[in-house]
Formats: sequence, structure tokens, C-alpha cells
Amino acid sequence: MHPSLWISKTGMHAQDKQLSVVANNLANVATVGFKRDRAEFEDLFYQIQRQPGAQSSQDNQIPSGLQIGTGVRVVSTQKVFSTTGFQTTEQPLDAAINGRGFFQILLPDGTIAYTRNGQFHLNSDGDVVNGNGLPLEPGITVPRDTINFTIGEDGTVTVQTPGNAQPQQLGQITLVDFVNPGGLQAVGSNLFLATGASGDPVEGTPGQDGLGFLKQYTLESSNVSVVEEMVNMITTQRAYEMNSKVIATADQMLQFVNQNV
Amino acid sequence: MDKALYIAMTGAVQNMQAQAIRANNLANVNTTGFKADFEQARSMPVFGDFYPSRAYALTENPATNYNPGWLQETGNDFDVAIKGDGWIAVIGPDGTERYTRIGNLSIGPNGQLYTGNNLQVLGEGAPIVIPEFDKIEIGLDGTISIRPRGQGPQELAQIDRIKLVNPPLEQLEKDENGLFKLKEEGAGPVLPDANVRMVSGFLEGSNVSAVEEMIHMLSLARQYEVHVKMMSRADENAEAMARILQIG
Repeated sequence: MHPSLWISKTGMHAQDKQLSVVANNLANVATVGFKRDRAEFEDLFYQIQRQPGAQSSQDNQIPSGLQIGTGVRVVSTQKVFSTTGFQTTEQPLDAAINGRGFFQILLPDGTIAYTRNGQFHLNSDGDVVNGNGLPLEPGITVPRDTINFTIGEDGTVTVQTPGNAQPQQLGQITLVDFVNPGGLQAVGSNLFLATGASGDPVEGTPGQDGLGFLKQYTLESSNVSVVEEMVNMITTQRAYEMNSKVIATADQMLQFVNQNV
Repeated sequence: MDKALYIAMTGAVQNMQAQAIRANNLANVNTTGFKADFEQARSMPVFGDFYPSRAYALTENPATNYNPGWLQETGNDFDVAIKGDGWIAVIGPDGTERYTRIGNLSIGPNGQLYTGNNLQVLGEGAPIVIPEFDKIEIGLDGTISIRPRGQGPQELAQIDRIKLVNPPLEQLEKDENGLFKLKEEGAGPVLPDANVRMVSGFLEGSNVSAVEEMIHMLSLARQYEVHVKMMSRADENAEAMARILQIG
């Protein structure tokens, strides 16, 4: 059959995937701490139909060969860990990381997941948990009669309780960093898991060893740029249309040969 | 049997292969650093101990379009694009040196620098390995400097320099993985060229011109129809001849 049919199919398939990535980014434009994905395209291997320099006859050589590329694919999606903005809130349990680093969240199976989303809550026991009720690691339990809750820039958590003139130190929020954050595996719910590609987590105090400072009363916005995604969407759509046009042309060629021979 | 039928047939078959090259270009209209391939047809006379009255058509891709693609701003420190001529040297899948313009770099778990298609980037002599850092800067000439983890801005360290080369284009060709290599088998690695410039925060898009590819697509489709018409005409001729013989 006509090779162009299959080549253009890979083109449409790749644009399809790109659109899914764009759609997911746009869907998360308001998700706190969301990091957008970027699809990376790669041309597929080339088929050597005629080797350059081969003999076309006993005395003649083909000066240039014929290599036909077999299309395109999305080789990977990469999380882009840029930071675009912070929004100030009035919640004492909101914290943002100004710089590199991730909060640690204890999963029910005992492993640790990582997040940039610092929108914390308290559960009925007074534990600091994320929006899904999973506790922050190392755990911090806030006394019932707390008046004032403070997260320092270095992660120190202090509370003020009635009858005590001195603030009471509850614990310390630590952050972790990775050599290659792009290699983290996104598992949804704003959480990431360490992988072989990301390297091992390096734990430290906020503000030290290159980890970012913590900012209370602040949330990190999603880094999705609406305009960029819209432009991506337009180019994706046009590329899709052009690939489908190739399929239509190839089909017409086959139709023509069927009708005329 | 009339030989015209076979000649028209090779025309149509070779035309399909030309179409496949154009289809591949269009499929890669969004691929970072992609370089479009040309297609051309050439006449191949049939040689032998007879009067050379026939020439078959032969499709080939004589060259790749080396025009630069447009630069797309991304703002990412690890995205680099080459301004003007030049190539980034990488280690190909078979372990030999290859050249590419794919500049969406990333860092592996042990600090190795990879291109977007997972090939290690060559530095001054060996693949680049970057120690842990807070901030990275890739300079105009490929020099990589970092602020090591936990150090102040006064501790800037120069790590390595991306090997940028600029061999004459007529010596280069695309290999089966879409990377570029020296045409001559076994030719030594190309020496770095200090004049190649790269900008960080940008990516080079594909240099496929969608309109041009579409026009070629359409013109090839029409050519194909002409070949097919020729085939059916040869068939009609054969039929007419058969009729004449029957009457006789």
C-alpha cells in the first residue's frame, strides 16, 4: 500500500497526543503547584531503500541513495519545573516554596511522595495534612487550643497557646531536592514519586543547600501559560489537518489507479 | 508487450516513494530541530547491448534542507538553539559521534547531559557530566557554568563546554536515526568550531515549510495520475492491436 498513508498516520497520532498534553495543561491552569508537561517529538528511523554508492549497472553508480523517513512520534513528555507566580492568601496553613525543593507527603503504604502544593489542612487529630488527608512528613500535630500558627522561612513551625507567653516550637518542615526533577513521575493529586531518572531525594532545611525558603500565607500558582497553550493548540490542529490532507491525497492516488487500470 | 507500460509503472512506483518523503516531512512539521528532506527524480537509461531507447525514472533524496528552523522562545535554561550554522555533537545510539540541532537538553540521574531524544551531549573530550547545582547558565559558545548547590553567587564554576561543530554541509548526511554524520566512512571526529553560537531559552523548530510540502504533495499526486493514465493508454493500445490481429 501507499507508504505515505502510514507515515501520515504517525503524524496524526503524534499531534493527537500533543493535544492531550495541551488539554491536560489547560485543565490544570488553576491547580496550585501544577507543573506543565511538554511533549517532545522525534522523527522515526529512516528506511534505506537504495544505498548511496550502490551499482545501478555494471559501469554505473547511484550518486545518492533513497532514504525514506517513517514518520514521527512523541518520545517523551517532560515536566517543566519553572515557577511563574505566587498568590497571597489568608490561610496560615498555606505555604509556598520560593526556590527549588518539594514537600514530602506520607502515602498510606508508608512511601513518600513529593509535591509543590503547599495548601495544607488540619485533620481531626490536629495533624497537618494535604487536601487528600495525607500527612505531611515529618509530621506536625497542632494543639487544639492554638491561637497563632507560624511557619518560618526555614520551616520552623511555632504556635501560640493561651496562657503561655512564650511561643512553642512544634517541629520543622524539611524539603527535598532532586538532581533531575524532570525525571519525577507524576502520579496525580499534585504528587510526584522518585524514579531512577530523578535520582534520590536529598533532604534539607529550607533556605539551605539550595533549597528554597518557605513563605507562609502564600500559594504557588500553576505554571501553565494560557497563551502558550493556545498557540500550541492552534499549531497542533493545523499540523493534524495537514497530515490528514496527505492521507486524503494518498487515498485519491490509490482510488485513481483502481479506477483507471 | 509494449515496454511503455513498464516505464509508466516505474514512474508511478517511484512517485509514491517521493510522496513518502514529503509525507515524512509533513509528519515532522512540529519536531524540534528537524531538517526536511528533498526528493528528486532522475532518468536512469537502460543500458545493454541494444539501442538505449528507454529511460526509467528513479527517485532519490539527494540532500537535506539545512535551512535553520524558526526559534521558539521557551524561557527554559536547558533549552538551547544554535544561531546560524553549526551542530551539537552527541553520542549516537551506536556509540559514534553524531550531530544534531535538537536542543531540548535535560539532566540524567547522575548528572549526564542528554538531548531531547536521550543522547549524551559531548563536551571537551568526553560526555558532559554536571555536578549538583542551584543555577545553571549555558553561554553563547556552549560554555556551561553553574552555581554549585548551597554556594553563593561568588562561587560560579565553569564545568565544561558543549562541543559545537560546523563541518561543511556537503560532507554531512542524515543517518537512519535522523541524526547527522559525516558522509565519508571512518572519517575522524570533527574538530570543535569556536564560531558556532547558541542561545539558551530558545528551541529550534522544524524547518519544514508546510505550504511548500503541500504543493509538492499535490504536484506529485497529479504526476502519479499521469503515469496511471499512461498505463491505461498502453493497455488500450494493446487491446486495439489485438482487435486488428483478430480481424486479420
